[in-house]
Amino acid sequence: MSGHRVAAITRRLLQQFRRDRRTLALLFVAPLVILGLLGYLIRGSTSSPAVGIANEDQGQLGAMFASALERSSLITATTIQASDGDAKLKDGSLVAYIVFPADFSSRAQAGTIAPELHLEGSQPGTSAPVLQALQQALTSVAATGPVHFEPQVHYLYGGPGFDTLDYFGAAFIGFVVFFLVFVITIVAFLNERSQGTLERLMASPLRRGEIVMGYMLGFTVLALIQSAEVLVFSLAVLKVHNQGNVILIFAIEALMALTAVNLGIFLSMFARTEFQAVQFIPLVIVPQVLLSGILFPVSTEPKPLQVVSDVLPLTYAVNGLRDVMVKGADLTWSSLQLDAGVVAGFCVVLIVAGVATLRRRIA
Amino acid sequence: MAEAFAVDIEGVHKNFGGLRALDGVNLHIKTGEIYGLLGPNGAGKTTLIRAIVGLVAPDAGTVTVLGRRMPDVDNLRNVGYMTQQAALYPGLSVEENVQFFAAINGAEEEDVTEALKLVRLDDRRKSVVATLSGGMRQRCSLACALVHKPKLLLLDEPTVGVDPQLRVQFWDDFRRMAASGTTIIVSSHVMDEAERCQRLGLIQYGRVLAEGSPNEVRALAGTSNLEEAFLKLAGAKAS
Repeated sequence: MSGHRVAAITRRLLQQFRRDRRTLALLFVAPLVILGLLGYLIRGSTSSPAVGIANEDQGQLGAMFASALERSSLITATTIQASDGDAKLKDGSLVAYIVFPADFSSRAQAGTIAPELHLEGSQPGTSAPVLQALQQALTSVAATGPVHFEPQVHYLYGGPGFDTLDYFGAAFIGFVVFFLVFVITIVAFLNERSQGTLERLMASPLRRGEIVMGYMLGFTVLALIQSAEVLVFSLAVLKVHNQGNVILIFAIEALMALTAVNLGIFLSMFARTEFQAVQFIPLVIVPQVLLSGILFPVSTEPKPLQVVSDVLPLTYAVNGLRDVMVKGADLTWSSLQLDAGVVAGFCVVLIVAGVATLRRRIA
Repeated sequence: MAEAFAVDIEGVHKNFGGLRALDGVNLHIKTGEIYGLLGPNGAGKTTLIRAIVGLVAPDAGTVTVLGRRMPDVDNLRNVGYMTQQAALYPGLSVEENVQFFAAINGAEEEDVTEALKLVRLDDRRKSVVATLSGGMRQRCSLACALVHKPKLLLLDEPTVGVDPQLRVQFWDDFRRMAASGTTIIVSSHVMDEAERCQRLGLIQYGRVLAEGSPNEVRALAGTSNLEEAFLKLAGAKAS
């Protein structure tokens, strides 16, 4: 292997990108847009579900519940007439309404607390905060009596401020880098083939390993810059929860980027046009989004799908990134050693596969 | 040591699926000559050139280039290959393209300047290839093929899209390179170019129909021009 020839390929690749503004934007602006959007989507929301409250209780308890609900930050409570409730659910002005019936207090004294909850029901996501608000109201009403309900909550990981973005953020850092690096590598390598320059490279003293290595180094430079950018943006701007070592997060991202580069080179051998290359996205990327634990924990998947999850590189990267960022794992953790080891293993296998499938001869 | 033959092709067969691309080709190309591969589109010229650089593996027969059996990756540093389409990096400048091919073939910076002068692109060295005309791209592609001063230069239809004036200059350059010992193999379907070659191989259906200097080929067919000679020889074989 000649370092000089490898460097020539790497240099040429970077020269090409220097002039290709659009691809540079995809590499360095798109991740910020995607992550920024995700952050805004999760944390930027100020409106809480609108809930109507109809208090028909002849005793005291209904009013106590109603005022507790009005104080809740989970919902926006308004007072309504029970008879208007269904119409308001239908026209979409409310997602739920709660009725405290006339006998609410008297039944409560007999041992049954029975508010009526009417849910719009077509959007499961909006029902949960209503139920949660009702439970909080129950807790706060109970606290006014002789018995106080004060659970002492302790978190092993995360904390009271740990939210959805903290959970998704860790996984998305790995995914965004993986996805964009993969797409750019597969298309760039395919261009080499379709514009005929690969044939010229094959008719030169270049070794196949030198071509793959040169490409890998060039894309790795770009991927590392992108990884660093994504990481700084996530931690400094989005303030994604991080308990672990930043260098370690960067190392896992970089390993993931390297895997993506080599997967791109390898799969480009099986595509003849850019159009065919793009067809690998639903085939390679979508299953990883669904099954790598970004959205749903792997442990809750049906068993046959867990088998699939276990052979996807992104599963290990996501797990590793979450362990570091959420749980503060370091390399003394055996789970992190496994995750990093498997991603590195995928990377090596793909390098070998890429070199092996890059054919000098057409037939 | 100078080999008697720069390229020695013995009984080469190649099938692509059901298509017989090369059908028992024998060619012996002398060092320092300009050899023309002449034939219609689809005759097997490009496949033959690819077999010479080792990109096509023959089903049978042997290809020896500069005394070494192909495929031989190290031997490729002595070979320059200009593909049919101007295979260049459109986003790079003329100079960057030639520098890249210089680097992977072990040539120096002076060679880049020299190659650009030869194809008369030294005043456009900073231009991005995507902005060049077809003829200029063709010249840049030629510069990339000869920047490392190969002993064997393979040119697959090099003058397609090149204006007549430049074509004359190209051929002057080819002759000069041949005189200094470079062997040049040019494929073409333009008969007027064939006249400029020292020897010709007429190819059709993957076979060499006739071989010799332009005069010998004309004499063989008993015609006064190469075009008629080709048609007559092709017709004789087909029937």
